Amino acid sequence: MVSTPYSETFKALEAGRRRRERNRLLVAYGFLAPSFIFFLIFLIIPLISVVYLSFTNYNIVTTPQWVGLENYVRLFQDPLFWRGLRNSFIYLVVTPILIVLSIWLAIVVNRKLRGIFVFRTIYYIPAVTSVVAVGMVFELVFAEPNGLINGILLALGVIKSPINFLTHPDSTLVSIMLVTIWRGIGFYMVIFLAALQAVPEELYEAAAIDGANRFQQHLYITVPSIRPAIIFVAVISSISALKVFEEIFVMTDGSGGVLDSALTLMFYLYRQGFVNLNAGYAAAIAVVFTIVTLGFSIANLRFLERGTRDSR
Amino acid sequence: MTAVSLNAARLRRGKRLRRWFANTGWYVLLISFALVTVVPFLWTALMSVRPNSANIFRQGRPPEIIPYPGLIGWGYGQNEARRDGSYTALPWDSSLPEGTRYGWWRDFTPIFSEWFKSVGLDQFAFPATTINYYRVWTDVNLPRYFVNSFIVAVSVVFLQLLTCSLAAYPLSKMRFRGRDAVFYLILSTLIFPEQLTLIPTFIISVNILGLANTLQGLIIPFGTNAFGIFLLRQTYQSIPDELIEAARIDGASEIGIWWRILLPLIRPGLATLAIFSFIGSWNSFLWPLLMIRQEQLYTLPVGLAFLEGAFTGNLRTVAAGIMVATVPIIIVFLMFQRQFVRGLSGAVKG
Repeated sequence: MVSTPYSETFKALEAGRRRRERNRLLVAYGFLAPSFIFFLIFLIIPLISVVYLSFTNYNIVTTPQWVGLENYVRLFQDPLFWRGLRNSFIYLVVTPILIVLSIWLAIVVNRKLRGIFVFRTIYYIPAVTSVVAVGMVFELVFAEPNGLINGILLALGVIKSPINFLTHPDSTLVSIMLVTIWRGIGFYMVIFLAALQAVPEELYEAAAIDGANRFQQHLYITVPSIRPAIIFVAVISSISALKVFEEIFVMTDGSGGVLDSALTLMFYLYRQGFVNLNAGYAAAIAVVFTIVTLGFSIANLRFLERGTRDSR
Repeated sequence: MTAVSLNAARLRRGKRLRRWFANTGWYVLLISFALVTVVPFLWTALMSVRPNSANIFRQGRPPEIIPYPGLIGWGYGQNEARRDGSYTALPWDSSLPEGTRYGWWRDFTPIFSEWFKSVGLDQFAFPATTINYYRVWTDVNLPRYFVNSFIVAVSVVFLQLLTCSLAAYPLSKMRFRGRDAVFYLILSTLIFPEQLTLIPTFIISVNILGLANTLQGLIIPFGTNAFGIFLLRQTYQSIPDELIEAARIDGASEIGIWWRILLPLIRPGLATLAIFSFIGSWNSFLWPLLMIRQEQLYTLPVGLAFLEGAFTGNLRTVAAGIMVATVPIIIVFLMFQRQFVRGLSGAVKG
């Protein structure tokens, strides 16, 4: 080594460094490759092709025919599309209800009571059971006239004729929203509970000394302290409310409700794409749907991204 | 709560009593909410053990809400039971072929109806039966759906654990050109709802990859998970760099480091991802609904949704099907609930 001129050593080192860097790059992308292949086939290519398909007339079997903006023009004149859009937005009402109820429940189960763990577990059960099963359970609960609710109310004489939970156009969507709320509370409760447990106890003591009652304490301490969790829940529950499908499918037996009263955008996409085989038209619905939900999705992404930065 | 001067023992007793009373309100609240959560399932369970009449509420009489062992058994042995008089045939049973009977049926009704009469609860009680479970298990291929769902869910879990843990390693522990770009690219895929790509993904899977009517078709499209990569990247970051550096100096290959050192250390993260992807796959409905036309390949949610068609109007059998589909997943949840809740709150904090 001593006899070699300085520049050659440097060159050798430099070459070694380059080789190592190339190796590292190779290794790194090697680790990423399996995921990348799946992303490419099932995400990136579909993303590009859905935009293309939305400008075509396509029934999944024959080759797509370019029709330009026709699908979009038809879409905006389609009353069922507007119905779906309206219902998807009505469905957003579940979000504030879910937030209030699950924060309230999280505050309750955050108390140090004997056996509280059992209750937390029970409340979480609906979140792990499938939407299909829950939907069918509630078909039995909402049944007329001998379902759980109608049966009890009729037996007690509270009502004279059964409530048409799932058989009247005005009530179908609301009934299904109730099920979504019922299923979601436990899930979001756990999220809020995690956030609540990070709120320092002293804040409440200080507020109590200042004469704040329990409600005021929660309003002025709990809510601001768990704001990130609230935003997070608001974002994810609005996205899942906008894209609701399975509840609708199961509880209307695949029909979209009496007179399509519970038709949501996702349900309409399913019907056009896979029942009527208008794949091009359905692709246009998917694109519009994505644009509608984009704001929520970006909010979601920013939230995750901020979490990343904080943990560094 | 005013302070009253009492002697020590009375004070202690009073305090305990007061605490109990102070907490009673909370327990009432907790229990009533637990009822709201549990009663729909209990209602389904009650329906699933109903014998011939679906109606729990009867005109002018108290509702039948307390089940007691009635006709319990499995197999075609009911024919025999019917013959020796211990079993009253239900109208829709007459179709069962003669000579194919096995198993046993036992009519517990005489014993228990006496017992319920003696305590005055006979008005509310009814003899429970297992016949609905038996029917849902034999007339519909529910065991098959169960196995299909299990195969799919376990495969999805393994595939996602593999691809996500591989991809998350360089993203958190290696320095290379384009790392941040790749990471944000993966993260940005979360912007797009999966419904956007539903149609092209379906077309690719069916027309190009030929995955229609196969269980692989329910597994391969879910081979990786951007959220899983994100989650595991967080877990990797909690491992000190020195550990990996030391292994590199010792001459370990990157894949060796990943397999021998890192995977055991990120087990909590893997468990979280496994649970979430298992539940997600087990409960997924739309994709199997689209991909599978053959009845033998149905997964549990799809089979369940078609149950209503198979047993038109027979709500008791449908209820039994719901129980068969939900109880196992609830048991799995109860077994792993700690990881569950920890994983969920970790994912939120992350």
